[in-house]
Amino acid sequence: MAAPMQLYCWKGDYGLPSVDIDCLTVLAYAKFAGAPLKVHKLTNPWRSPTGILPTLQTRGEGSVSQPSKIIIHLRKQKYNADYDLSAKEGADTLAFVSLLEEKLLPALIYTLWIDSKNYVDVTRRWYAENVPFPLNFVLPNRMHAQRLGRLQLVREDPALEPGEQLEQELYQEALECMTLLSQRLGSQKFFFGDSPSALDAYVFGHLAPLLKIKLPNRKLQQYLSSLENLQLFCTNILALYFPSEIQAAPVHTAPTQADGGDMDHEPHKRWNQVMSVLFAMGAMLGYAILTGIITIKSAHPHLQESRHDDVDEEGEEED
Amino acid sequence: MSLAAEAFVSQIAAAEPWPQNATLYQPLRGNQVLMLSSVPQAYLRMCGLPVRVCCRANAEYMSPSGKVPFIHVGNQVVSELGPIVQFTKAKGHSLSDGLDDVQRAEMKAYMELVNNMLLTAELYIQWCDDTTASEITRQRYSSPYSWPLNHILAYQKQWEVRRKMNAIGWAGKGLEQVYEDVSQCCQALSQRLGTQPFFFNKQPTELDALVFGHLFTILTTRLTTDELSERIKSCSNLLSFCRRIEQTYFEEDKDSQSAGSQYSRGPSLF
Repeated sequence: MAAPMQLYCWKGDYGLPSVDIDCLTVLAYAKFAGAPLKVHKLTNPWRSPTGILPTLQTRGEGSVSQPSKIIIHLRKQKYNADYDLSAKEGADTLAFVSLLEEKLLPALIYTLWIDSKNYVDVTRRWYAENVPFPLNFVLPNRMHAQRLGRLQLVREDPALEPGEQLEQELYQEALECMTLLSQRLGSQKFFFGDSPSALDAYVFGHLAPLLKIKLPNRKLQQYLSSLENLQLFCTNILALYFPSEIQAAPVHTAPTQADGGDMDHEPHKRWNQVMSVLFAMGAMLGYAILTGIITIKSAHPHLQESRHDDVDEEGEEED
Repeated sequence: MSLAAEAFVSQIAAAEPWPQNATLYQPLRGNQVLMLSSVPQAYLRMCGLPVRVCCRANAEYMSPSGKVPFIHVGNQVVSELGPIVQFTKAKGHSLSDGLDDVQRAEMKAYMELVNNMLLTAELYIQWCDDTTASEITRQRYSSPYSWPLNHILAYQKQWEVRRKMNAIGWAGKGLEQVYEDVSQCCQALSQRLGTQPFFFNKQPTELDALVFGHLFTILTTRLTTDELSERIKSCSNLLSFCRRIEQTYFEEDKDSQSAGSQYSRGPSLF
C-alpha cells in the first residue's frame, strides 16, 4: 500500500488522543499493529466520508466505519496485532469484547451522555465548544437523543428515564465487568502476554475516557480507580503509544457551580445575539418597504404598459 | 428486577428448599419458532433439580419480564437464565462454585458472547429475513390467535425486533454476514471447548446449559434453509457436546413418558 490510508476521528482532549470510545479503540489498534495511517482529527462528523466517526478511508475500497469492520480491514492489509495469538486466545478476545459491549458500554454511555449532571456540565459543554457553528446547537442534543433511544430499545423500556435505579443497575453490571477484566488481566502488562492485541485496544478504548475525563458524578470512575491494574494498563498504553497527547493535556478544571451557570448560557447568548440582529434587520427592511423608502422595481416592469389588464386583478398600490 | 427486589427475593428463596412441583412454562410447541426452553431446563437438570414443563399459549404474558420460558417455584416466578441461576444459588445449588476467578471471568464473557451473537442472530434470521419471516415466523407466532389479532401481533413483534436490530447496528447486515458471525461464534466456542467434555473441567456450568440450549434449538428447528445448522455441524466437537448433554440429562424422559405426562418430548438430535 503506497499511499497511507486515512482515518477520520474525533478530536482529542483531556490527555486522550480522541474523546470518542470507538475512535480510541481504532487509534489504539492502529498503533499496536503499526499501521501507517494519516489521522484527521475532526470536530465535525459531516466532514468525514461517511458522516460517521471513526471512518477509515481505504485505497480503492471505499470507506469503512465501524470499529470491528475497520479492524478487520486493517488485518486484511496485513496490519495484524493478533498474529501471535493462539486460536483459543482469539476466541477469548471475541468473548471479552462481547462482555465489554453488553455490560460496560451501556454504563459508559449513561455516565457520559444520559446522567443529567455529567451531560450538561461536561459532555454537552465540550461538544458545544468544539463543534463548529451552527452544528454545535444541533449535534449534542441529537447524539443525546440517539443514545437515550438506543438504551431504551436495548432495555425494551420505551419510558426509560435517567434515574437512581437505572444508574445503580447499570453501574453494578459495569463494576462486575470491570472486576472480571481486572481478574483476567491479573498482573500482566497486556491481556495476552507482552504485546498488545485487539482486546487491549477495545479495553483501552472503553476505559480511558472513564479514567481521564473529569466528571461531576464520579461513581463509575471511583469503581475504576479501585482497580489498580486496569488504571496502570491504561496509563501504560497512553505513555507508550500516545506520548504526545499526555504532554498536550490542557488544564480542564471541573466547572464550579457559578461558572457552570455562565458557561452554559454562552452558546445561547451568541444565538440570542445573532437572532436579535437578524430580527432587527428584517423588521427595518419590512418597514422600509411598506412605507416606500425602498422600492422594488425589478419584478414588474410590464405593469406600466399593461395597466389596463392588471388594474382589475391587483388591488395593490404601486409605488 | 430492581436490586432491592432481587435481594429480597433471594432472601425468601433461601428460606425454603426446592419444592417438588416446580414448573417451567413455555409457549405452545408449534408456536414459537425457536424454543429456548432448553436453556433453563438443561441448567436445572444439571443441578439435579426436578421440574415439570407446561406449554401455555400466553406464556409470554405470564412471565414477569415478558421473556419465556420462566419457572414457577413455590410462590415465586423467575424468568431469564441470569435470575434463575441466582435463584437456585440462593437455594444452595450452584454449578460454578468450583471455578477460580479467571475461569469465572471467562465463563461470563463466553455467556455474553452467546447472548450477543447467537441470540441476536436467531432473532435476526427469524424476523428480519423476509422469506423466513413471512413463511414461518409470522404464521407460527400468530397461530393461537384469531383474525385480526394474529396479523396485528405478528407485525407488531416484527416491527419491534427490527427496531431493536436497527439500534444495535445489525440492520445493515445481510443474511450472509449474519451466518458468518454465527460461524465465527461457533468456532470460538469450539476452540474453547477443545476436547474436554464440558467447557470448564469435568463439571457442567451454566455456560454449558446456555450453549446447549441455543445450539439444540438451532439444530432441531426447521427453517427455510439448513444453512445455520450446517454451520454448527461443521464444528464436530460442538455437535458431539450437544449429543452428550442430551443423552446424559434428557435421556430418562424418553423412557419414562407416561400418557398423562405434560412433558411431550419433541425433536431430538438422534
